[in-house]
Amino acid sequence: MTQPKKEMFKIHIRGTLDSVWQELTRTDGLQRAMFNSRLHTDGVQPGGQLRMRSPNGKYTAVTGQYIEVEEKVKLSHTFRFAAYDDPECTVIYELQEVDDGVELTLTVDNLPEGTKTAKQMRQGGTFIVNNLKAIIETGKPTFGARMLFVLFKLMAPFSPKKSLSVNWPI
Amino acid sequence: MTKMDALFHALANATRRTILDLVRESPGGNVAQLCSHFPMSRIGVMKHLKILVDADLILSIKEGRERQLYFNVIPIQTAYDRWTTQYSGLWAGRLTQLKQAIESNRPSALPPEMEERGPRPHPQTEEES
Repeated sequence: MTQPKKEMFKIHIRGTLDSVWQELTRTDGLQRAMFNSRLHTDGVQPGGQLRMRSPNGKYTAVTGQYIEVEEKVKLSHTFRFAAYDDPECTVIYELQEVDDGVELTLTVDNLPEGTKTAKQMRQGGTFIVNNLKAIIETGKPTFGARMLFVLFKLMAPFSPKKSLSVNWPI
Repeated sequence: MTKMDALFHALANATRRTILDLVRESPGGNVAQLCSHFPMSRIGVMKHLKILVDADLILSIKEGRERQLYFNVIPIQTAYDRWTTQYSGLWAGRLTQLKQAIESNRPSALPPEMEERGPRPHPQTEEES
């Protein structure tokens, strides 16, 4: 393993700061830009625990803890895949209002180079910002994402035991 | 100039494509490190860099007294999405991977009788003058 790395993704979304922030922090429905996961948290505030769980709550894909929460400006949290033993990395969302919308920058820091986590986060970053844009601008995720969600549903019973939510309480 | 114009303008130059390669390989590098790869002046590199930053292909982040450079894949993904569907993307991807595997002589992708040839000297070199 070499030095941890940082990757950045920046996208322009025709929407309001409100709509982007709401999508990033929603707990009242599925987060379709986050691979159709359901966000469970004891508070979107620094130190708050977060879990990204399957739609029915049975499996947990991601665990983390909020670091910085500045409403409609910045959201950062630690991030670890529940199924891997890789070190955690840091995810940072920064929102900036521009002429005709919002500029969203996603930074993934402390990527443990050479791990499954690094590989998935590189692909995941593009997926997340692209789908946030699609959801806010068109009301639904991209076609590719919708296909992927169907696949996830079919694959759920094959998830490793380790990612069962009972192992990852808040 | 639209975002798409800015993207293709930025990509239509071999030096700028090389800058993208270098920044992608070493995320967080600074301008001085980048300049060391080119015989041209710092001002020359900065001029190319500005065009890449304007196209959002490179993010230049202020960190203390210097700037760190990061590659942003999103503009290229946007162009890709415009002309590619889920299915054509899958098959086109297979074909380009096959091309890469054969041209770089990656052993696993080749039948045994072809493995004796050594690798091509510079599989990544662009074919242009």
